[in-house]
Amino acid sequence: MRNRVREQRRQRGLSQAEVAAALGVSRQTVISIESGRYLPSLPLAFRIARFFDVPVDKMFDPDEEEAGPC
Amino acid sequence: MLKVIPPRLRKPALYTLAGLVFAAAWLIHGGRTWWFSIVVLVATAARVAAVYLRAGKDTDEGALAGSRADERLQFLNARARALAGIFAGTATFIALSVAVAAGRTWWPYAAILAVAGLGYLFGLSNYGVGEQDPAEEDADDAPSPVMS
Repeated sequence: MRNRVREQRRQRGLSQAEVAAALGVSRQTVISIESGRYLPSLPLAFRIARFFDVPVDKMFDPDEEEAGPC
Repeated sequence: MLKVIPPRLRKPALYTLAGLVFAAAWLIHGGRTWWFSIVVLVATAARVAAVYLRAGKDTDEGALAGSRADERLQFLNARARALAGIFAGTATFIALSVAVAAGRTWWPYAAILAVAGLGYLFGLSNYGVGEQDPAEEDADDAPSPVMS
């Protein structure tokens, strides 16, 4: 799963700590989400999308390999 | 009850309580080893101080020690606890088998396994496994989301 959290954060000139405080998570969690090591829950994904004012499906893109139907 | 205690003090409070109980057990045990209770109290104080200090750090470990884990840490914490449970269960089963083979007291190990098994079943029940929601009988009549 690819995401645009880092890209959106940098566009707005925000630090990871500021984003973490706004979302109510730890800085380490923001780092993990940005690096793709952690997939946020659906509620947190929506909070992230709303915070950056980006549709959730634009913020999180499944990789082509993972997106195909079973 | 824990909610009343500030998050940073919750783990230290639990460790303090556990340390006091264990120290009291050594004291009640008495005999020549009563002074073990003093050792337990000193070790508990050191542990509580270390956890309190760690809880003030801006790290994953600090968040866990300070009871302020977010969803990622809660998930990782649950997985780590599950792994610890598997280790403890395996060790207890090995101890039970060895105790039976050696003709030693085995029932405490069996009791621990029974409690763990009941705890697992309680967990499944508590977290909603097996609850069946009634099927929507009119699902065929529902409009398709792709139709305008």
